[in-house]
Amino acid sequence: MATITHPAQRRVNTRRGWRRDAALAWHQVKYEQLSFWRNPQSAFFTFVFPVVIIVVFGALTHGGGRSSYFYGLSALQYYVPTIAAMSVLGSCYSQLAIVLATRRQEGILKRVRATPLPAWGYFLGLLAHCILVSVVDVTLIIGVGRVFGVPLPTHWAAIAVTLVLAASCFCALGVAVASLIRNAEAAPPVVQLVLFPLLFLSGTYLPIHSQALNQVAGLLPVRPLNQALLGPFAEHTGVNWHSLAVLAAWGAAGTLIALRRFRWAPRTQ
Amino acid sequence: MRPQLTTPATPAAPAAASTAATGAALTVAGLRKSYGPVAAVRGVSFTVRHGEIFALLGPNGAGKTTILEILEGFRARDAGQVDVLGTDPGDRASGRALRERIGLVLQDIAVEPYLTVRETVARNAGYYPAPRDAGEVIALVGLEGQARQKVRHLSGGQKRRLDLALGLVGRPELLFLDEPTTGFDPAARRDAWDVVRGLREQGITIVLTTHYMDEAQALADRLAVISAGQVVAMGTPATIGGRDRAQARIRFALPGDCSPADLPLSAARAEATATGDGLVTVETAEPTGALHVLTGWALGRGTPLTGLTVDQPSLEEIYLRLTAQSRPTETSETTERNT
Repeated sequence: MATITHPAQRRVNTRRGWRRDAALAWHQVKYEQLSFWRNPQSAFFTFVFPVVIIVVFGALTHGGGRSSYFYGLSALQYYVPTIAAMSVLGSCYSQLAIVLATRRQEGILKRVRATPLPAWGYFLGLLAHCILVSVVDVTLIIGVGRVFGVPLPTHWAAIAVTLVLAASCFCALGVAVASLIRNAEAAPPVVQLVLFPLLFLSGTYLPIHSQALNQVAGLLPVRPLNQALLGPFAEHTGVNWHSLAVLAAWGAAGTLIALRRFRWAPRTQ
Repeated sequence: MRPQLTTPATPAAPAAASTAATGAALTVAGLRKSYGPVAAVRGVSFTVRHGEIFALLGPNGAGKTTILEILEGFRARDAGQVDVLGTDPGDRASGRALRERIGLVLQDIAVEPYLTVRETVARNAGYYPAPRDAGEVIALVGLEGQARQKVRHLSGGQKRRLDLALGLVGRPELLFLDEPTTGFDPAARRDAWDVVRGLREQGITIVLTTHYMDEAQALADRLAVISAGQVVAMGTPATIGGRDRAQARIRFALPGDCSPADLPLSAARAEATATGDGLVTVETAEPTGALHVLTGWALGRGTPLTGLTVDQPSLEEIYLRLTAQSRPTETSETTERNT
């Protein structure tokens, strides 16, 4: 598209724009947080569900030693990273898809579009929120694991890198699903229908010892995150770049769908 | 998307488009929009001047909201020129710059339930380069008492006032109000009208849609009556549809002993017809003369003209007449005449 801005003028605008955009992004992150923490239900379910699961697994498997079934780890050493991965899926993919579908249906997204807040600003606020929630979730799960005697992870930097990248990818997939779903009522069942078999297939609840199955699951989004967290959590390895590359590919696919299909306005009859 | 050239405009220096030349805040020319086979807007043109309140008046389904959504940049048009504050709202590149200068109050209430009124206003204020003070806006719409309340505890009317506050917080030059008082009780409507008039005092240009005649009458400097996707009349509330030139109507109870033919009206160029309720209606272009003749006649006979009234057709009558053709067959007509 042709623009007729004078070059010098454009530079000034860009510089002023940069500072304003940064302030705008921070502003949006702040208020997205405020909306979330004010809603008792969303805060409760986001944090309580993964913690309950890890507590139950901890109580069930407490005292069990290392076994070949869990790849030479204790049961809980295995479950802390896989449930941590599940919590990231829950707060990024599931929650985001449902929240966006609901906000669209209620006209809140259209109202956002009526303001000068650019789309990237809105999504940056959501992404920052999802990353923060994931960090809190994972910290809680590590804490519960510690109570049950699981040693603390050793490779924190690798965990941080994995979390940020995974959260971004699953946010992109969440937005993609919200782009494909038309009404808010359909969001929770569709989200769960996709997620539940994936969790089983990827060894989140029970380790999978079929090589063929693992190869297939390794190309889907959940198992790579499990693998990428198992290493730095329990196996003293660093960033699992191969798994993160698979995640990144899914994130890119999600972003592409979101860019092409995302709608702000509720469906009109 | 739209097979049409977009105006090359930048946020810093909007290109001198038609509004800049004419001094108008908004111009629409030959606007068309269809949804599949249904033509919702069929060649609409109008101009809104700076600082005035312009109303789009029409029945439900006439195309008012579609027109407004095209002006707001929510919908792409099929054909026609649209210029809002020197910018084409269909041009995505200048969308953010335009959004900083306009305020939108949409038809449906949509506010996040868990923030307080003040937080909601402060959040939206942060989206604009030179926003109004949150407290000032809250006071302007009369929500001071609810500033610390969560949005979900507000009543429907209070939520709409919050909506209005969100439309105003960016200090807009131009404000779009889509059916701003639908669902209000009479007192709340009058309050809302006062707020809207106050905004005009501040120099804000306002475009509103309504299907209430009294609202258009009370607020609009000028209005366009929209029916089945077309402008069927345009003017001021006093002159629209030839209302000012329409014949005045003199009504009174006909004295029992005479018929309409007995009235001495030939000199006054007026016509009398009896209506079923015992009243007679005299239509005339010169009510002063006709009244003089009639009252002289009545005093001469010693029979007072009981129930005497003089009026012009109301805006509502004009409106119903203007929209009458389209109303009974609205659906079939809009589907047939697609372009």
